[in-house]
Parts: sequence; structure tokens; C-alpha cells
Amino acid sequence: MRKIKYICLWGLLPFVLFTGCNKWLELKPVDGIVGEDFWKTKEQIQAAVMGIYASMLQEPLVENLFAWGELRAEMVTSTGRTSTDELNLMQANVLPSNSLTNWAALYRTINYCNTVIEFAPRVKETDPTLTDDALAAYQAEAYGVRALLYFYLLRTFGEVPLRIKATASDETLEQLPKRSKEEVFAQIMADLNQAEPHAVTSYGNQAQDKGRMTRYTINAIQADAYLWMDDYENCLKACDKIISSSKFGLINAEFQSDFFNTLYVKGNSNESIFELQFDAQALNPFYSMFIESNRHFVASSLVMDEFYKVDLTDLTNYDRRANGTSVRASDFLIWKFAGATGGQENMEIKVLEDSYTHWFIYRYADILLMKAEALTWLGRGAEALVLVKRIRDRAHALEETDTQPSSENPQSVAEFILNERAREFAFEGKRWFDVLRYAKRNQYAELNTLLETVVQNAPGNTQNTVRNKYRDVNSHYLPINEYELQTDKELIQNPFYK
Amino acid sequence: MNANIKKSCFVLLAFLFLTMLTMAQETVTIRGKVTDKSNGQSLPGVSVVELDKDGRTITAVSTDISGNYLIKVKSTENRLSVSYLGYRSEVRPIQGQSVMNFPLVVNVNELEGVEVIGLKRRPPLDNGTGLMIQERDLTGAVSRVDAKDLAELTATSIDQALQGRLPGVDFGTTTGDPGAGMSIRIRGTASINGSAEPLIVLDGMPYDVEIPDDFNFGSADEQGYAQLLNITPADIKDITVLKDAASTAVWGAKAANGVLVINTKRGELGKPVITYNLRSSLYKQPKAIPMLTGDQFSMLIPEMVMNADGLPLNLQTNKEFLYDPNDPYWYYNYSNNTDWISEITQLGYSHDHNVSMTGGGSKARYYASVGYLGQQGTTKGTALDRINTKINLDYIVSKRLRFRTDITYAYINQDLNYTNGIRSVAYNKMPNMAVYEYDMYGNQTPVYFSPAQNIQGRYTATYNPLAMAMEGFGKALGQRITPRFNLQYDIVPEWLLATADLQFDINNTKFKNFLPQDATGRPFTESVVNSSADQDLDRFSVASKINILFTPKLGEQHTLQSLLSLQTSDDKNERQYTGVTNLASSILQDPAIPARTATGTLSASADQARSMGLLLNAQYGFLDRYIFNASIRMDGNSRFGPQHRYGYFPGFSGRWRVSGEPFMQKYARFIDDLSLRASYGHAGHAPRSNYMFYNQYNNFDWSYLGMSGVYPSTMALNNLRWETLVGSNLGFNLWMFKGRFRLDGEVYRNRTKDMIYENLMLPSYTGYSSATFNVGTMDNQGWELSLNTQPYKSKNWIIGFDFNIARNYNVVREVSEFFPRENSAEIGQNGKYKTYLQIGNPFGSIYGFRYKGVYADEEATIAKDAHGNPIIGPNGQTIYMRFNYPLTDYVFQPGDARYEDVNYDGNIDYKDMVYLGNTVPKYTGGFGLNVTFKGTWRLQTFFSYRLQYDMINGGTMNTTNMYGFNNQSTAVLSRWRNPGDQTDMPRALYRTGYNWLGSDRYVEDASFVRFKSVTLRYNVPNETLKRFGLKNAAFYITAENLYTWTKYTGQDPDVTIRGNVDPFKYAQDNNLTPPTKNFALGITLGF
Repeated sequence: MRKIKYICLWGLLPFVLFTGCNKWLELKPVDGIVGEDFWKTKEQIQAAVMGIYASMLQEPLVENLFAWGELRAEMVTSTGRTSTDELNLMQANVLPSNSLTNWAALYRTINYCNTVIEFAPRVKETDPTLTDDALAAYQAEAYGVRALLYFYLLRTFGEVPLRIKATASDETLEQLPKRSKEEVFAQIMADLNQAEPHAVTSYGNQAQDKGRMTRYTINAIQADAYLWMDDYENCLKACDKIISSSKFGLINAEFQSDFFNTLYVKGNSNESIFELQFDAQALNPFYSMFIESNRHFVASSLVMDEFYKVDLTDLTNYDRRANGTSVRASDFLIWKFAGATGGQENMEIKVLEDSYTHWFIYRYADILLMKAEALTWLGRGAEALVLVKRIRDRAHALEETDTQPSSENPQSVAEFILNERAREFAFEGKRWFDVLRYAKRNQYAELNTLLETVVQNAPGNTQNTVRNKYRDVNSHYLPINEYELQTDKELIQNPFYK
Repeated sequence: MNANIKKSCFVLLAFLFLTMLTMAQETVTIRGKVTDKSNGQSLPGVSVVELDKDGRTITAVSTDISGNYLIKVKSTENRLSVSYLGYRSEVRPIQGQSVMNFPLVVNVNELEGVEVIGLKRRPPLDNGTGLMIQERDLTGAVSRVDAKDLAELTATSIDQALQGRLPGVDFGTTTGDPGAGMSIRIRGTASINGSAEPLIVLDGMPYDVEIPDDFNFGSADEQGYAQLLNITPADIKDITVLKDAASTAVWGAKAANGVLVINTKRGELGKPVITYNLRSSLYKQPKAIPMLTGDQFSMLIPEMVMNADGLPLNLQTNKEFLYDPNDPYWYYNYSNNTDWISEITQLGYSHDHNVSMTGGGSKARYYASVGYLGQQGTTKGTALDRINTKINLDYIVSKRLRFRTDITYAYINQDLNYTNGIRSVAYNKMPNMAVYEYDMYGNQTPVYFSPAQNIQGRYTATYNPLAMAMEGFGKALGQRITPRFNLQYDIVPEWLLATADLQFDINNTKFKNFLPQDATGRPFTESVVNSSADQDLDRFSVASKINILFTPKLGEQHTLQSLLSLQTSDDKNERQYTGVTNLASSILQDPAIPARTATGTLSASADQARSMGLLLNAQYGFLDRYIFNASIRMDGNSRFGPQHRYGYFPGFSGRWRVSGEPFMQKYARFIDDLSLRASYGHAGHAPRSNYMFYNQYNNFDWSYLGMSGVYPSTMALNNLRWETLVGSNLGFNLWMFKGRFRLDGEVYRNRTKDMIYENLMLPSYTGYSSATFNVGTMDNQGWELSLNTQPYKSKNWIIGFDFNIARNYNVVREVSEFFPRENSAEIGQNGKYKTYLQIGNPFGSIYGFRYKGVYADEEATIAKDAHGNPIIGPNGQTIYMRFNYPLTDYVFQPGDARYEDVNYDGNIDYKDMVYLGNTVPKYTGGFGLNVTFKGTWRLQTFFSYRLQYDMINGGTMNTTNMYGFNNQSTAVLSRWRNPGDQTDMPRALYRTGYNWLGSDRYVEDASFVRFKSVTLRYNVPNETLKRFGLKNAAFYITAENLYTWTKYTGQDPDVTIRGNVDPFKYAQDNNLTPPTKNFALGITLGF
């Protein structure tokens, strides 16, 4: 009997220990924070919002924005070091295996936005110092970035899946189908409208006003998106909100080197609305793209010959945005991102450690030209031309580039604006979207303009093939990367690439 | 940790308390004298001990110079024990005596070791948990190797020594550099998760040999640093491999890849025996593939460039091939015939010394050893130093209470090259280049010739291999201390035993590396110049085990052993990494020296994992004929979230001893044992990373607008479950002729369910690119046979023959639809084969083109239909063979490789790809012949083999492709050069063309039999030993890798798929040199 008691006692011992050990098996990482311990204070919300912006500095997001916005157009051309994928995009030979069709970098940041939108309200439970306004302002920044990135996806891929839930656990995974362009646009607008009333007008600091989403950034995205959808009334309203704030102006370009320095090298100028703040810690990707001897891209000769032109009779008469600002005419370097100093004399190139020129998303000049475009199609061509003239006068644009369109003929004014935008925003990732927006208006009335643009980078013997490809308007949007099709059975490849 | 200590203290206190209870009170004095019975001489210094009824020491004294003693005993119920070395011990009850004299008898036999021969008397097998089961009663699939069989090999670690000796256990060779590890696979790979290495159980406690993933060995191979090195082969007593799931189920969660149980030697009763082992080995790199000389190379390259674009190589910009004495610097430095391989090769050697001392009395026994291994590798700059010490102590406190304490310390200092690619760079390096720089006058300087860049490219693609071997380094410094304590207490003697184990494992590794500027030649503005890194990995783990073993005596007919075991483990890892670049000089090599810090990196991380297991196991035998074993183990692991934290792993097995049945008695004369076995069990596998069930947030290492940013870095994997291996095994044992014939066979199927896959791709709109999931089911099935015989045995001669063979194949039964179905090799990608994942088909099949030689001239490139008539185009034009029309649309030229146009459409594309072979061996195993003459001479041979599989001859592929500026083998001297040349070596074509697509040109039957080792050993006979006062002495010589019988034309057919498991990997032999030939000389002396 005693033996049995003994045995029972010894037998029980492990079970007793075992129950205590469930707790013992619960371990948390020491070099990170787990979700359930995060979202406790308003400082954490701010850190998460900064994380959204910081993630946009991470490769390859800005490379993607540049490639999608420039490579298919004619202002950039290849070098011996251009990668096959980049070359294929430039020469209208895009396959779903092309790495430039990978949209992961944008969705990664979108997930960070989703996370802030979904979890920031939890802080209210633990941090009473968080006001409703402050919470809404933080969320407005997330809504704004999400809208901006979906707007890039809309313009690049047309139809994309809409993921607006945070991926916090494997239980939240789902297979999403593509949404139509209208649905994506509706989502963008919903986000922007959600953000607009809550976004701050100023963070009380010039750098933050340019590097974070303000109400004016929201308005700028609204204007751009409405314009893309040919909703000119709303575009005009959005532009006017910015213009009437009187917070922005154009940088004087009388002295080209000062103009270059203020607007591009230093950044965060009075003209800027939103730009990504690369710095010494987080260098931009432009060094390998444009600067070092293995550079992937240089400016096309068209930039000087066709867009800015040169006044051979008077060399002091030159477009301030041309040689010395956008390009270095001697070797076609994309000076906007490569230059340490501007102006036509003494152009010094950047070294790797200083390669942190910002990436410009919206400038005041953009607002003025978007407004001009909207006015044009609202039958207010004369007002539009006034705005264009303001841009041209600031830049000392050459006479030869003034096509003198009739204010009565919206098509010719629009074409004039398109070319002015090319001069103003050279290499800022806008040209392809501008051309596509111009071409697709009124059921692709101006498709030919687009065709003439895309053949510029195609080798002579394939120009006809390229033209024929782009006649199918579905080819204006990139294919969904094969990797996405493999991982999401609900996705259907975009029509041209099936 | 805290809980661990508490638990251990509790157990210790419980034991102490129980022993205290038996203390008695009264005191009596006893005196007496101890003498030698034969001559009556008094014996001084003899210990006289009072023992209680359990044999526990109560008090002890020793005799004075005249042999007298006086002892105050606690109880007259107790006994006195007198023992003295060389005499037979005596124990007598006190029973009220006050004078007790002890005349001692000289003991002659005690010191003679008794050698245990024969199968039935081998010690019981230890599966590490504590159950001691006789080998003849085993119910699962288990194999064992005695360390004696391995003693003579040149191997420095046990994995090298075991290769080919155990059926179903596959050891993959790696680099062959000193200290390099091997991949061990028991019955194939049961997982597509990264790790397929088995669990190592050392003296009953799990022993961690994995290096955490994020420990970065720089560009050196992580396989280059083997934790198994910490266990010295000389200390090992035996190794047992648990193969089937029922046997491994007792180890539960860690055992899905099989278990290797290693037991080290312990002290034995007797006089101290000192053994000295010396083993000296030589390693020699055999002759490599003959490569082009500088002159031949300089002919090839311009021709290659000319063929590619029709333009001659510009010698003004590529002066490497100018050979112009008027340009002396280039002339002297680029007109050599350098043999880069012999520049970096040296004769390797090792010497391994080991001294051990073992012995003990009735109370305490010890085994202590110290060893030193010094090794120099066959590549310059590689070496290894190892110091091991070990003390295993057993102390018998009383009949009921015993404890053991073991302390092991290992120090390893391993010199590696900065990168392990030196040998392949040396093969590729242009042979017309100088090793040391010449000046303008043709004088050789002592400076390495390391141009920043030349036609072959620049670092990292190429560099001066000798400078890299001599000046760059990677150094691994490891120290590991493993103290371990064990208590055993008979709660009820013979019936109920409790044991408690506590083991600490302190394992620190430092890895330093340095890349000097003079190896790369790169300018100081670059961050690769003089880069130095230093990192530490500190691991601390505590493991505990409490066993309660219940062995009731149930009479003659029944035997029962049952075990309750509670095991815990707690592992902590801390890592630190410091790296700087642009140190001012190649002599300043430490990252502590200030450098251009903008490029320096500093990082640290830490993690911790805990697991616990509760095991119930019982073995029941009825009539010695029907044996059953059942176990259930519950495992908890901190790597899983609360929903899936615990796993349950049952196991059942049985053995029917047919030979024990009455109807078999007539055969009993020659059948020792005939048994059938069956088993079924589960084993588990936890993911490798910690904290995966948390949604984690991390900081960006840059700020935005001066503010730091946080982002969600991982999603919570709440659905992640245990990977479970469900295994069944059928086996039989036929042992005959008193151990002279022994045949063991197994058939098995291991099904891995819920396979954990670490990088399953996710749609990127989730914000993540991949995550870990349970993706599917995979089977490993096969059979194994092993035979041990002594076909001839006479007074003087014993001839033994051992043989084993195994067959295993891997089939995916079910896999997530998101798992890719084919590898990423694209058509037109030279050197790549296509592989597919096919549900239900074994792994390893490769697909590609059929190679048909070379198009001799233009006429040969005309496309022909099935009847051999030329294909005519719609307008009557001649159609030439094309590649991948219309996507690539390359027209084959004379001199190009010719692939079979399987469908006769004049176009070589996907449709012409066919099955080319399978790189997984059908049969693997080994055999050996042993001859013993008069017990003094012994000849041991061992052969290993792999049969019926194909190998991709990567060596030939890379040295005959004539595609880049890499050096090629002399086989390319027969290349096609002019129309009409009849050859099967295509023309040289610089970075273009399709001359080396994955085709049967490189696929060869790689079946081989390798004469792995031969040892001749001489054991000095007893008469001679006595004359020199030795206990034993032996001398031996061993040679390894003497010869390989194979049709394979490459250098080494014994290449397995290494590293992480991936269904798309195929085996490719990129070796350019056969495995090293090793010669060893050994001495063993016992005093």
C-alpha cells in the first residue's frame, strides 16, 4: 500500500510541474515589439506613421515610380548597363516575368498604411492624452499615402486587387480578385475624402510640411486623380483649394544655379507640396541609376533637341530647366538627380555619400498646370494659357517652344500643356502618365501621340511591331507579375498579356 | 531558467531528505588490524569503512603504518568493509564485536579486463531515455556501431567516420577542408523545411549541433563549421541510430529526422589504465583535370571573341593578350604559364593525440581524457586546432543512491579562407597571368599581382587566389563547456528507480574574417577594401530530465519496464556583429580599429526557445517471445502559438521471436534468433525560427525627417502547426550460428504530414512576400538490409564479411496549390536543367535536350524532317535549324552544338526536351571484409557504393563551355574551328549561343563502388606486453579513398544534394579534383 502511495506521489509530480510550465513556454522576443504590446501610446502611432514614409525610401519603390513613369516614354534612353528588364520595358517587350511588373514595394507600404488605419484607434483605450483630432490626423496621413499608391497602381496596371485590411496574422490572408478601374478609383477617392478634413495644413516645420501628407497633398492627389478620370470640375476645385491657400509659390529661376540648388539639391522649397525625404542615412537609388559609370539611364537627345531647344543666336537666352537643371547636355546625364550644383558653368556631380536628392511627387507648378489642363477642357482655354505662361515665364522658356495654340481649340492647348509638362517635370516620373492621359482622353482620340512617343526607344526594325502593340490600348497597362498569379488563383492576367 | 532551477532543487532536496531519515544515533568503537593473509605483513593506508544496510558509507578511517585502525561506528547493525588495491575486499557485519582483524587475500583476477564477445552478452542498448533494452528484444529499427570499429579511421569527427556503415543513413561529403561538417540524412529527407539533420543525443541528453540561421559566416560556408567536432571520436563508446518513428517517438518533437544516440566511455572497476592514442595522417590532393596553359589560353580567348561578334578582340584595350615585349609591364605580367591550382595547394596533415585514464574502485569510477588535434588542410590557409577534455565520474554513495557528473570542454580554432570559392577561382583564373607582380624590367617583386580589374572582371568575380588564401582569412573560434549532473535513487530497489539529470551547455563561437586589399586589388574608395568583421554567438542552454523507471519482477514469464520521463530545455542565443571596411592597411585587421565608419555595421540580436516533453513508455515481454512497446509523448514548444503549442506523439511496436516458439526448437542448434518486428509511430518537427506566432514590429534603421519609423515586420502565424511524421516499419532479424551470421532487414514508409515550408510565396498585396506554412504531405519509403557474417573461423583465422544496402525514395503526395511546380530554369539558359514537382513521382528527375555533337558545316545545319529530307520553306527556300522560334529565333551556325530535333520541326524548343535521368541513387550502402590472424594481426577493408543514378558532370560543363574568360580544360583543344572539322566539342563562343544547354552531354551514369578504407592493425601479443610492462599496445596503418570503380568520367560521383531541401534541386558534381587520398599511422598504448 505504501508503495502504491509512493508511486502515485512520484507520478503526480510531473503533472504538477507541467501545469506551471505552460506559462514557462510563453516567450516574447527581446529585440522587437509584438503586436499586442504595441499601439499603447500616441508616440507609437507617430512612429508607425513615420514607418510608412520611411518604407517609401526603401528600394525599389522609387525605382518603380521612375521606371513606370518614364521608361515607356521618350525622354530617357538606355546605356550599355541598362538591365534586360528595363530594356524590355523601354522597347515594348514586357512579359509577366519582367521584374518591373512587380508591385510588391507599393503594397508593402500600403500594408503599413492599413495597419495604422486599423490599429491606431486602439491607442484610445490606453492613452488618454491622444485626442480625436490627433488620431484622425495620423490616420489621414495613412489614408493619403494609401490613396497615392493606389493611384500609381491604377495608372500603371489599370485593374488591381484592393487590399484595405492590415495583414496582422495568417488568419487575415485572403485571395483577392482584381477590381475594375472604377472601383479602384472609388477607393482612392474614398480614402482622400476621409483624409481631407482631418489632415493638418501645417506641422509647423517646413521640412515636415513637404515630407508628410498635408491637406494640400491630399488636394493635389485629388486633382491628379480627377484629371485622370477626366472630371475637370472636381480637379479645378481641388487645385483652387491649394492655390487659394497662398502657401505656395514658384521659385525664381533668374539665376539658374540658385534655382537648381533651392528646388532640387536642397529640396523642401516653397514650391514643393510633397517629396520623399532621402537623406544621408537613407540614400536615394539614383547613384546607380544615373550617376556612377555603370549608370542605367541617360537623357534622350530629344530632351534638348525637341523639348527645350537651344537658341543658337543667343546663348544667354536659355530655358532654365534645360541644360544645367534637367540634363547635362554634354553627356546627357540626368542632372536633376545627379547634380551637386546646377547652372551651366561648373556643374559638379554628386558623390555616393551625397546622393540624397529628394523624389518629387507634387510641386506647385504641377498644380498650376493641372488646373490649366482642367480649364482647357472646361472651355476656359484663355485662363489656361495664362497659367501656362506663368510657368514658362518663370523658366525663361524659349520662344521656339511656344506653339501659340488658339484658346478656342482645347486640343491644341492641351498639347501645348503636355509639352510644357514634359519640360517642367522632366525625369520626375510623370511623362508616361501625362502622355497616356492625353492620349486616352475622348476614347483615345490622340492615340497617335502616344504611338510616336513609344517608338522613340525602339530599335528601327521593331518600330512597326511596337506601334502595332500599342494600338491595342490594353498594352498601355503592365501585366500582372507571374509571381502574383502563382500565389493568387483569383487573379486574372491583364487582357493584352493573356 | 528559474523554473528549471527550482525543479532541480526540489528533486535534490527530496533525495537528501530520504537519505537523512536513515541516520542512527548510538556510537561504538571498534579496533583491529589489517594484514596480508599470505605472509602476515601489516598493510598501512587501507581504508576501513562503515556501511549501512544500503551500502552507503557512514564513516571511514585508514590503517596506520603498522596496519592498525580504530573506528567509531554509528550502529552495530552496520557492516565494516575493508578494501585495498590488489586485494580482495572484505565486508563483515559488526554484530557487537569490538575487535575485528582483516587478513586480506591477494586478488589476481580483479585487474584483468573481461572482454565481452558474442551478441547476447553485449550491453543493453540505450536509446537515451533511460530504458535499457537488450538488443535482442528491440522492437524498432535501430542500428548500432561500436566505436572500436571506427578507431583506425583518419576521421576527425564522428560523421566522417560513420559514412557508409549504417544502412539507411546517408552522409553527404562537403568541402573536405579541416573541420568541415557533413549532412546526415536518416532514411532520406522527411521535410521540405530547411533542416533535415537528425537529433543528436549525447549521454542521454539532446545535444545541439545547429548553428542559428542568422549567424553569418560571411562568404564562408556554414557547413565549414561543424559542431559535431566537439565530440572526440576517441571518447565514444557506441553510436546508436534510431530510424523508425516508433523508436524516435520517445524523443518526440525533435526526432522527425531520426536520432543519433552517442554514448561516451565511462570508468570501469579496476586499476588505473592509461591509454595513449596517436594518429598521424597525410592528405593529398590528387591530380586535377588538366587545364590549359597560358599559351593555349591566349589562343582560345581571341578566337572566342571573334566567333561571337565577328570582330577581333581589341588588343589595345585588352593588353592581357598582346604579348608585346615593347610593352614590358603587360608583357611580363601576362605571358606566364601559371598553374594556379598547385599555387594554392599544399600537402595536408593531421596529428591527433589522445590520452585517457580510466579506472575506479567499488565507490568511485572515472574516465578522463585529454586530446589535441592539429590539422593542416590541402588548401593554403586552412587549418584546425582542437583541444578536448572530458571527465566522467560515477560515484556510488550507497546501494540505493548514485550520482554521476560529467564535464566536457572543447576548444576549436579553425582557420578558413575568407571565401570557400578559392579553388574554383583558381581553376578559372587566366593562366597567362603572373602570381607575383613583375616590374618594368622583368624582375619579379614580392607583391601579389592583383590588378583592380582585367579582362576576366574584378572582385568578387575573380581575384588573385593565392593572395586570397594567404592574406584573407575567416577564423572560427569555438569554446563549449558541458557540465552535467545526474542522480539515481532506487526508491524501491530493483523495482523503482528515479533519476534526475541537469545539463548546462555553454557554447560560444566567434567568427572573424578579413578581406585584404591586396587580394582584390580594388581601389580604396570602395567598401570591399580591407573589410573586417567580428561576430559572436553566445549560446546557453539548460536541459533537465527526470525519469522514473518502473521494473517490476513479474515472474519468469513476464518482463515489464516502464518509464515516465519529464524533459525540459531552455536555449538562449545572443549574437553580435561588428563590421568595418576601409581599414587603413591590410595589416590592420581587427574591426575594433577605427575605420571609415560610414560603411561599418553593428548589429545584435537575441532569442530564446523552450520546450518540454512528457513521455510514458513501457516495454512488455511475455515468454521472451512476444514483446510489445508502447509510448506516448506530449511536447510543448515555445515556437508555437497557444492554439498549437502541444503535440502528441504516440508509438507502438512489437516483436515476435519466432525462434522462441516450441515448433522452432528443432532448429535451435543453429538459429540464435529469428524475429519479426512491426512498428508505428509519430514524431514531430517544430519550425526553426522563434516567435513566429507574434505580429512583430521593428524599427527601420534610418529615420524619416529625424523621426524613427516602426513597421510591422512579421505577421502572426496563428495557423502554424506541428509537422508530423507518421512512420511504419516492418523488420526481421535472423541471427544464426552463435553470432556468426546475422541478417537484419527493414521495410518502411515515413509520411510527413503538414510539412512546414518556410518560404511559401504570398500575394504581395498582403504586404509580405512569403511566410511559413504547413504545405503538404510527403512520403519517404524504402527498405534496408544489413548482413554481418563470419564465414570462416578457425583457431588462427577469423574472416568476417559485412554488407549493407538501402533504397529510399521521396514522393510528394500532396502540396499546397501555391507551391511552385517547376524550377525557374528557362529555355535557352545554358547549364541549367529543368525539374518538375510531380505529385506521386519520386524526386530528382531532370529534363533537357539530347546532345548530338557539332554541326560540322553549313549543310549540316539544314533542317530535316523525319525522313531525313530537307524541310523546304513556303517559297522554296532552304530552312536552317533554329533555336526557340519565334521568341529567341537563333539560327544555328556551323560549329554550334547540335541538339536532337525530337519532333522534326526544324526548331529546338521546349518540345524537344526529354527525360534525361534521375540524380537520386537507387541503392546505397557499403561492405567490408575483415581478416584476423591469431588475434594479433587484423586487416579491415571497407567499401561504399551508390548504384543506379545519374550525375550532372558540372566539372566538365564548366571547363568546356568556352563561354567566358574562364580557363578551360585541355579537352577544348579539340574544339571545332573550321568548317568540316569533325569533332564533338563545339566552337568557342563568347557569352552567346546555346552550346552548353542542359543536355545529356553532361548527364552520366554515376554508379560507383569506392574502396573507402583499408587498415592493417597489429595488436602486440600478451607475452611481449608483459615484458615491456604494458597493458595493451597496437599499431596500425590506414589508407583511405584509394580507388573508385565507376563509369563516371567526372572527378567525384559521390556528391549529394546539400543544404536546404528543395524538391527542384538536382545533384551536380562541380568538383575538379577527386576526394583527397589519406594515409594514417596510429599507435595505441595502454599502461
